[in-house]
Amino acid sequence: MDNIKIIINTVLKNRGKNEVENIHEISHLRNDIGFDSLDLAELTVRIEAEYDVDIFEDGPVYTIGEILQKIQ
Amino acid sequence: MEMFYQDISKNFQITWEVLLKDISHSKEFNPYCYHSDFYEVFKQLILSILLNEEIILLDSDLSQQELKKLTNYSEFSQFNKSINTKNLSGLSSTTDLLNKLKQVNQNWSLTLFTSGTTGLPKKVKHSFLSITRFIKVSPNKASNIWGFAYSPTHMAGVQVFFQALLNQNLIVRLFGLPKEMVFQSIEKFRITNISATPTFYRLLLPAKKSYSNVTHITSGGEKFDEKTINQLKMIFINAKITNIYASTETGTLFAANGDIFSIKPELIHFVRFEHNELLIHKSMMGVSEINSEEWYHTGDVVEVISENPLQFHFVSRSKEMINVGGYKVNPIEVEDTIRNIEGIHDVRVFSKKNSVLGNIICCEIIRTNEQLDESTIRIYLQSRLQEFKIPRLVRFVNNIPTTRSGKTKRN
Repeated sequence: MDNIKIIINTVLKNRGKNEVENIHEISHLRNDIGFDSLDLAELTVRIEAEYDVDIFEDGPVYTIGEILQKIQ
Repeated sequence: MEMFYQDISKNFQITWEVLLKDISHSKEFNPYCYHSDFYEVFKQLILSILLNEEIILLDSDLSQQELKKLTNYSEFSQFNKSINTKNLSGLSSTTDLLNKLKQVNQNWSLTLFTSGTTGLPKKVKHSFLSITRFIKVSPNKASNIWGFAYSPTHMAGVQVFFQALLNQNLIVRLFGLPKEMVFQSIEKFRITNISATPTFYRLLLPAKKSYSNVTHITSGGEKFDEKTINQLKMIFINAKITNIYASTETGTLFAANGDIFSIKPELIHFVRFEHNELLIHKSMMGVSEINSEEWYHTGDVVEVISENPLQFHFVSRSKEMINVGGYKVNPIEVEDTIRNIEGIHDVRVFSKKNSVLGNIICCEIIRTNEQLDESTIRIYLQSRLQEFKIPRLVRFVNNIPTTRSGKTKRN
């Protein structure tokens, strides 16, 4: 979870958006974290580089919980 | 009261009656159309036709520097012209307005910008005919309701706008809205037609339920993958799904079912192939500053499946351009901008496949100043490039790979 938070904050920082202090399994990537499609695209690449999993391969993911399931 | 435009995200709605009033009471017209508000762009488009004035569409997210590069100006108020109200008289009903629009002057033109392959964006001028070549107006389209899923300052958006306007259809904004609002709008306004990029559709998936009111789904601008098409069929159970070939330079040219394109017999003389590249005759195109040749090289490589009738499918699209969710990015333009940063020796911009946007922009940089970091570069680019053109991954390297002919490797 901590590592995902670091990746998410990197993406947010890159776009000049406010970083998040806490994330939870139910946190919604668009509604709670404020990601748009460009951010989601960057997130998939960063996660793939680290975990070798394309989290969007089988369709979009919406929450942190769904990401955690994919990289398990 | 018949509706002209709905935007659920702003709780904004406009009837045809209000549109007529807004148009007839307009006091000024500016040929440079640089607005983030969709309704404002629609009004300017209508006004430009009624007044027979050229209109130049500019994306609302262009930076001051990009505007200056494209138009030589970063501010356009000096181009405001007072409107002679006589030109807007006699608009007492929607029928009057549509009749006037259909009598558009042949000299009327619309200008848009497309990322050119030489590094400088290219200006493309269209006549009413080249924009509306594939627009059909008929009584059986009168009940269509359009989901507007393109930017109104792009060619595809302009075409959807005229298709809806000339058939007096309601336009419902979908572009730029979160998924939930898109579905809410589709259901609430009983949308029947949607035209969008494959990326727009991909981001709607998966859906919780199906929508039987949608009868036509059109897509273009990037490769439409089989998987997305199949998933869309589950959501829009009554929709006919059509893929189109279109670009800023050509407008809409061909349509396909699945990925096989066929050419109508009347267009067959305007298309030819050279080393499997699709060439289009200049009479089919908008007028740009650089296309003076008889045949326009699209850069799109095709494979001909049958000669009679002529059918083909696309093997690869414009070699150098990177398609990010339907937006074309010219890597040379991005490289040129990055090279201007002090402390940068060389840069390579390339694409990486991405399951969200099709491709994303990446770059490798050789720096001469070790203090120069990623965030400084990003801040510099944010004020100079549209967001989708900014590299999402930046890597600092010691050398940059080139091809055997010495060109920068893009893949």
